[in-house]
Amino acid sequence: MLVGLELYIGGVLLLLGAAFTLLAAIGVVRLPDLYTRMHAASKAGAVGGGLILIAVAVLSQDASVSMRAVIGVVFLLLTTPVSAHLLARASYLSGYKPCSQTLIDELASNNEQNPAT
Amino acid sequence: MSTAFLVVILALIWAGISGNFSGLNLVFGGLIGGVAVLVLREALVGPRAFRRARRMLSLAVLFLYELMVSAVRVAIVVVRPDMSNAVRPAIVAVPLTVTSDAEITLLANMITLTPGTLSVDVSADKSVLYVHALHMVDRDAMIADIANGFEKKIREAFE
Amino acid sequence: MTPEIFIEWAALISLVLLGLALLVSLVRIVIGPTLSDRILALDLLTVVAMGFVGAIAVRTGLWLFLDIAIALALLGFLATVALARYILLRGAGTQTAAGENS
Repeated sequence: MLVGLELYIGGVLLLLGAAFTLLAAIGVVRLPDLYTRMHAASKAGAVGGGLILIAVAVLSQDASVSMRAVIGVVFLLLTTPVSAHLLARASYLSGYKPCSQTLIDELASNNEQNPAT
Repeated sequence: MSTAFLVVILALIWAGISGNFSGLNLVFGGLIGGVAVLVLREALVGPRAFRRARRMLSLAVLFLYELMVSAVRVAIVVVRPDMSNAVRPAIVAVPLTVTSDAEITLLANMITLTPGTLSVDVSADKSVLYVHALHMVDRDAMIADIANGFEKKIREAFE
Repeated sequence: MTPEIFIEWAALISLVLLGLALLVSLVRIVIGPTLSDRILALDLLTVVAMGFVGAIAVRTGLWLFLDIAIALALLGFLATVALARYILLRGAGTQTAAGENS
């Protein structure tokens, strides 16, 4: 039993990662506007992909593979917020307005004061 | 003393990544590690290096915990059938107290990956961070949350 | 249940879930009212594909697939950055108001 424990852990991590990725995809379809969708894609997506890579690291039982998988996770966690931030900023500046449910938009009032930015 | 220790660790990591623990490969990893330590000498020396490393580690642990919480929360919102009630989006201006580019970048990245918030833009004078919230309950509470959580930790780690 | 059989089933179920995720994000690429929505879905699609390759690596035991997964993540990041810059350069006024899908 104890011998295969890491295999069980790896399998559960793999399933969790796949489930989070599916939830991220469902969120991207169901949420009302780009900015809320970005919450689903960047958080659930990064965690889902990261968990799958960690599962590979646990299951491979090979130091070089595990190391590369961990580096892949770090890389994923570094790049996902950067691309989400860049896309959000580019969309906002090109005129993508948040959906009508949005309560306050302090970025809009700031841009009216100094439209040059 | 600690420099030699660092070179040995880097050599072992190199051998681990390349999957080859032979003597020649270890020496090669040690050479690369030595060059890296030589290049980064300025940033590594000093008595506060270890204390700083511990704070960085505590920041990383906090970040990983918050990341898991945020993913679970987003997942719960997504599968709720009455989703439009659970979503109260807002863009809030958060005043920044950290000043350097590296700190702002780190803060913005961490905000993006933590519960319910996503950084959208930084004002031109680097004094305000615009944050999109998925479910805003109280504007002032949210700003205080960011200021007392990550911002404080980042300032401690970079002091 | 031996660990080997559990892993086999876990990998299979993961592949099914990830396949569903591919289809669902494809829906957003097709209907996405603006270019930004499509880019976001495309970004997610590369992450899903990366997970798919990882699950295949577990199922087949060919760990070399991991390198493909990491390269795919890199490619997805660069593609998103390039497309975001394209939106920025194309300028304002071309995107419609936010798409509401109630």
